[in-house]
Amino acid sequence: MADLGLMSVLLGLALSAYAATASVVGVKKRMPELLVSSSRSLHMTTLVTVVASLALITAFVQNDFAIKYVSDHSNTVMDRAFVWVAFYAGNQGSLLFILLVLVVSSSLSIWLAPKRLARSMPWTIAILGATQFFYFFVLAFYASPFELNNVVPVDGRGINPLLTHPGMFSHPPLLMGGLITITIPFAFASGALIAGNYGDDWIDVARVTSIISWGVLGTGMLLGAWWAYTILGWGGYWAWDPIENVALMPWLVMTAFIHSIMVQKRRGMFRMWNIAMLNIGFVLAQLGMFINRGGPVVSVHSFASSTLGVIFLSFMMLSLVFAFALFLWRMPELKSDRAMESFMSREASFLINNFLFLAVMAVTLWGVLFPLFSDLARDVSVSVSAPYFDRANGPILLGIVLMMGIGPLLPWRKSSARSLKQWFVWPTIVGILTIIVLVLLGVKRPVAILSFGVVAFVAAAILEEWWRGTVSRHRAGDNWALAWWRLVNGNRPRHGGYIVHISILMLGLGIIGTNFYQQRTDGALGLGESLVIDNYRVEYVSNGDASRSDRIAQWAEMSVFNIERDDYIEEFEFAEAQGADGFTIKDSSLRPNDEYIGQIEPWHGFYLDFNMASVRSGIRSTIAEDLYVIPRDFLADGRISLAVSINPLAWWLWASGPFFVIGTMVALWPQPSVERRKMPTSSKEVGN
Amino acid sequence: MDVRSPISRTEWASSFFYVRKSAWLLGMLIAVSVALSGCLTEDDLSLEQRSHQLASELMCPVCDGQTIDGSNAQISQDMRAKVDELLISGKTNSEIKDYFVVRYGEEILAAPSRSGFNMLAWIAPIVIVAGALAIALWTIRNMRRSTDQLVASTEQSTQSIDEFLEQVDRDLGGPSPRSTENTEDMKD
Repeated sequence: MADLGLMSVLLGLALSAYAATASVVGVKKRMPELLVSSSRSLHMTTLVTVVASLALITAFVQNDFAIKYVSDHSNTVMDRAFVWVAFYAGNQGSLLFILLVLVVSSSLSIWLAPKRLARSMPWTIAILGATQFFYFFVLAFYASPFELNNVVPVDGRGINPLLTHPGMFSHPPLLMGGLITITIPFAFASGALIAGNYGDDWIDVARVTSIISWGVLGTGMLLGAWWAYTILGWGGYWAWDPIENVALMPWLVMTAFIHSIMVQKRRGMFRMWNIAMLNIGFVLAQLGMFINRGGPVVSVHSFASSTLGVIFLSFMMLSLVFAFALFLWRMPELKSDRAMESFMSREASFLINNFLFLAVMAVTLWGVLFPLFSDLARDVSVSVSAPYFDRANGPILLGIVLMMGIGPLLPWRKSSARSLKQWFVWPTIVGILTIIVLVLLGVKRPVAILSFGVVAFVAAAILEEWWRGTVSRHRAGDNWALAWWRLVNGNRPRHGGYIVHISILMLGLGIIGTNFYQQRTDGALGLGESLVIDNYRVEYVSNGDASRSDRIAQWAEMSVFNIERDDYIEEFEFAEAQGADGFTIKDSSLRPNDEYIGQIEPWHGFYLDFNMASVRSGIRSTIAEDLYVIPRDFLADGRISLAVSINPLAWWLWASGPFFVIGTMVALWPQPSVERRKMPTSSKEVGN
Repeated sequence: MDVRSPISRTEWASSFFYVRKSAWLLGMLIAVSVALSGCLTEDDLSLEQRSHQLASELMCPVCDGQTIDGSNAQISQDMRAKVDELLISGKTNSEIKDYFVVRYGEEILAAPSRSGFNMLAWIAPIVIVAGALAIALWTIRNMRRSTDQLVASTEQSTQSIDEFLEQVDRDLGGPSPRSTENTEDMKD
């Protein structure tokens, strides 16, 4: 298997080099047969990569511990289902996986691309081939998953325990896939630029492929957050860790891009801008790869650290120079068809939104790099972590959410006072009413209240448009559901976007709730004892052993009760006098208003070979709040040490996921007619 | 070119006025809430809340990139206990942070301090946002100026609600009287 894998990688190295060269030579020397063969060899790289991947998977299935990567990332007791996870669990395998995604998406995109892109296609193929070549090269000479052990071990080391979770079947592949597929729209845009294909032929392909890549990356990040929340027991879902940040940054830029590309599509503007955004997105994705593979910043993700840093840094610099040299070379040709007409237009608001996204990206990048500057400038190490990013990025993100309500309601070109009033009166009233009601209810934290107001404003803006459109269709005879569906179906990019906006609002609710209103307490419980926080009592009922050969593990069974404060008033007052938010009680007998609401089973394991603890939180979730129990440790005296929190609105974080995916798919669903249906007033100018 | 009634000066002016009013309102809301949140001091939080807050602002010295709040390493547990001890003895948040900085260096703080060289970390975001907004507005203004020179655009596409509903019909390709317009579009 090792030989087969290695041969395939070397073959791929040759094929990708050939594809890139043949494309360029074919165009320069006008040899169509070379172009055909380069395109075919790009499909061949897909074949050999699939073979290499299958070889590695087979080696895992057969427990072929002669291969170092297999013995490092699996063992005989590993559940076979985790072969898929083990495939990308380490540095070398994950690179092979990234390459696999790259070749498959390259093949699909050049195969499905419309014929009218023929002129720029050779250049697209050359860029794809060159990128593939880089990965083949790294896999062949620096990080081969097919390297052999000197001494074949009897059993492997086993898979990283943090990865044995259902979320791991999808989170890492989506994240890696999302990052690498940014190459596709980049290759199409750059190909069009080199070929001098300045028209807008490439934008449909670039829009579709970048939305796919963006949706995949976004879903991957959300799954990662969910994973961190449920299994890692970090108590949080997003830590602003460098590795998380480098995935977030390209996503932010691509978010900006998929908005501004619509302006080019509809109005023929922002040509330079869109190219620049794609370039930045691509380079940031390379930066992510670099930081992931042995970059200079410390991260909680120990995954795949290696000495590949220099190589990835070089490739990133190379792509940076290439992308912007190309950009500067063609800049004079990238003129807008039309000019901006008003501040109060959708194009203007999209431009502002783009700059805000860039600002979040830049602030995040600054935070990631600041420790390096500090080291260099004054030889003092500093840390830049969540408290910094929350403060620095929070306000900008709130501004972006606000723009999310304003932008789509503004018409293209310019708006009149009348239309502004018509559209903005209700959302503004709803937003302000929300703030007033929350203040009257005595809710604390002004910043959070303002944020809730903004979320309500945006939600009202979206619902207003849906409401008016649906009512109109309903009057025309459709029933309500059908009327709404027809409205959405009539302009899928727009309404799919709204569905995604709603998911972002849900995410926003969760972020505001958990960041501003979390309550926490720590305590240690013996069997039969209870911990009380706010209106919950958690009783430690029993425990059990779940150890296996590679781990010492225990689970605890706990009953959760809703309680009335009055029943526990003495304890509450005593705890508050000591500055504590919760307390433990020895006697768990029921008090008058105690109401049993469910069981939770937190789990704590320690993996000997990895010297690593893994924790599964006990969570009792409602749409209002989560009761969240982290088992910190099983103590020697038989007690369990717990960190218990109430996370308001956490449910909304995860509920946003399906909306995000559905909205993205609605926006993507092919709709050939709408592309041609330009804005009525500008239809005659837009035709090419 | 399809020409519609030019936008009237007064209408444009009043739309601008409307926007400016809203901007003022928003600005005041933000100012008030920032001011209010500034009033929220350590006294409003229970000791336990402050303990968690401090724990999330101190890094675990032995684990990569985790705070002592998130990490379960022995040293994090010890540090959390030390935080509680210092809190109970009446120390302020900044005194407690200083206590750890003296022992472990600045690296122990999860966010850089707001003094000296580290001020750079905090000033940069403000500069970035201000710069980004300034460039955006400047670009829009510039692009508008060039309009006046290029095409003396007199068309208007203010999307009032009626027009929006028409557009909905158009998007649906329904049996509306505008179907002729549709076929015309398709020819492009």
